[in-house]
Amino acid sequence: MYDAVIIGAGPAGLSAAIACAKWNLQVVVIDEFMKPGGRLLGQLHQEPDGTWWNGIKEANILVEQARALGVDIWCGVSVHHIEEVGQGWRVHTNKERIDTPKLLLATGAAETPAPVPGWTLPGVMSIGAAQVMTNVHRVRPGKKGIVIGINVLSAAITRELQLAGGDVVGMVLPPVNPITKDAGNPRKVMQSLLRISHLAPSAFLRMGGKLSRANWMQKLALTFYPKSGVKMWGIPIHLRKAAVQINGEKEVESVTICSVTPDGKRIEGSEQTMDVDFVCIAGGLYPLAELAAVAGCPFHYFPELGGHVPVHNERMKTPLEGLYVAGNITGIESAKVARAQGFVAGLSIAKETIQSADSAIDKHLENALDEVRKIRSNAAIQFHQDIHAGRNKMESIYKEQFS
Amino acid sequence: MKDSAIVICRCEEVTLEELTNTAKEYKCSARELKLRTRAGMGYCGGRTCRFAIDAILMEATGNQTPDQIPLKYQPPVRPVSFQTLGGGCHE
Repeated sequence: MYDAVIIGAGPAGLSAAIACAKWNLQVVVIDEFMKPGGRLLGQLHQEPDGTWWNGIKEANILVEQARALGVDIWCGVSVHHIEEVGQGWRVHTNKERIDTPKLLLATGAAETPAPVPGWTLPGVMSIGAAQVMTNVHRVRPGKKGIVIGINVLSAAITRELQLAGGDVVGMVLPPVNPITKDAGNPRKVMQSLLRISHLAPSAFLRMGGKLSRANWMQKLALTFYPKSGVKMWGIPIHLRKAAVQINGEKEVESVTICSVTPDGKRIEGSEQTMDVDFVCIAGGLYPLAELAAVAGCPFHYFPELGGHVPVHNERMKTPLEGLYVAGNITGIESAKVARAQGFVAGLSIAKETIQSADSAIDKHLENALDEVRKIRSNAAIQFHQDIHAGRNKMESIYKEQFS
Repeated sequence: MKDSAIVICRCEEVTLEELTNTAKEYKCSARELKLRTRAGMGYCGGRTCRFAIDAILMEATGNQTPDQIPLKYQPPVRPVSFQTLGGGCHE
């Protein structure tokens, strides 16, 4: 019998397993992908200080550390249901059923769809799928592609596609519809992009970053936005162009794009067609919390955290006895934050499992909590500007309603 | 192709137009929208279109996204064989 079951072998799940194993807990980490590491496996980017973040290397470090401590890692196993039984949880997988006193959900995030006419054609994929094909399977998604959806995530992955030798003709906005909404509005997209402008090797965007407070400046920048786009790493970013239609008989052959006003309205007659054989759709990420939902965990909706988040406290406990969460299921942030949160969750689980009067674990837990706050404040890429506000709100909801 | 002809639920081939019209006509819940159109009832279990269905509903009814998840999650949350569900592989 395991002391704890951890669902998700990404940065949060693996580091939680490490923390548990350091306190002599027997744990198993379950992941539906065939390799451990989660989304770390797809990550490769340069930090503002010039160093490279190689996700595969980071994943290997965690996996080796976990295995050395005796953690079991099951890959290619899907959890389809969890339920509270007696003093713990029953985890139903496609292989076996496991009962455990403590259960950690570290299931990460899923991609938000951004519907575009023609998006069901073969050759259209989510940008995360293109990332997995390129960086994990080492398969090129196509010869020439376009990215629909301009955000922090798609900019980072487009850069990875380029590093892998992929030809990306540019990044454009999605068409405005009830699902894409602000993602099709140049003004709103510009505001969110300015937060990563320090990463852009472009004087234009860097200048924009410094002047971002002034609304009129943003408007001016959009009004005079270059027709050929602003280049980031040589890839044209078209803030004033949107995809209208993905074309093709049996698979993607081209994409029709058109110019839009700074508010995202289509300019009739400005349509042009670009020949491509693959299309990456980037709608952003939302916390993947389906198992917390079937468990009956209360939720709260936080746009700043990416959507519906299971209620939890800073120590990663949910209001349900023995159920914990860590990583992107608690809100969209970087892998480094997820890893630090996982460590907190692992220590939380260990503390309640051993229930010793030893204050050493409390000290470790306090340090781990400080580490999360520090990493969050120093994050190079903040997926949402109000992440701190969202986190604080969640903490007070837990305190007021559930403790 | 008209924008409203975008397929939102691929498994059941339900379009944006169909979802918007149904949501406006019946001012319904996410569950009712699902049952009326079959969007989200295909073999993927709504894993691709769930977010879009919620967004269309909020837009059509003018409601704010509630704190509880609009469309209830039901196990199994991943496709599994009848044998697995029936307990055949455990006993």
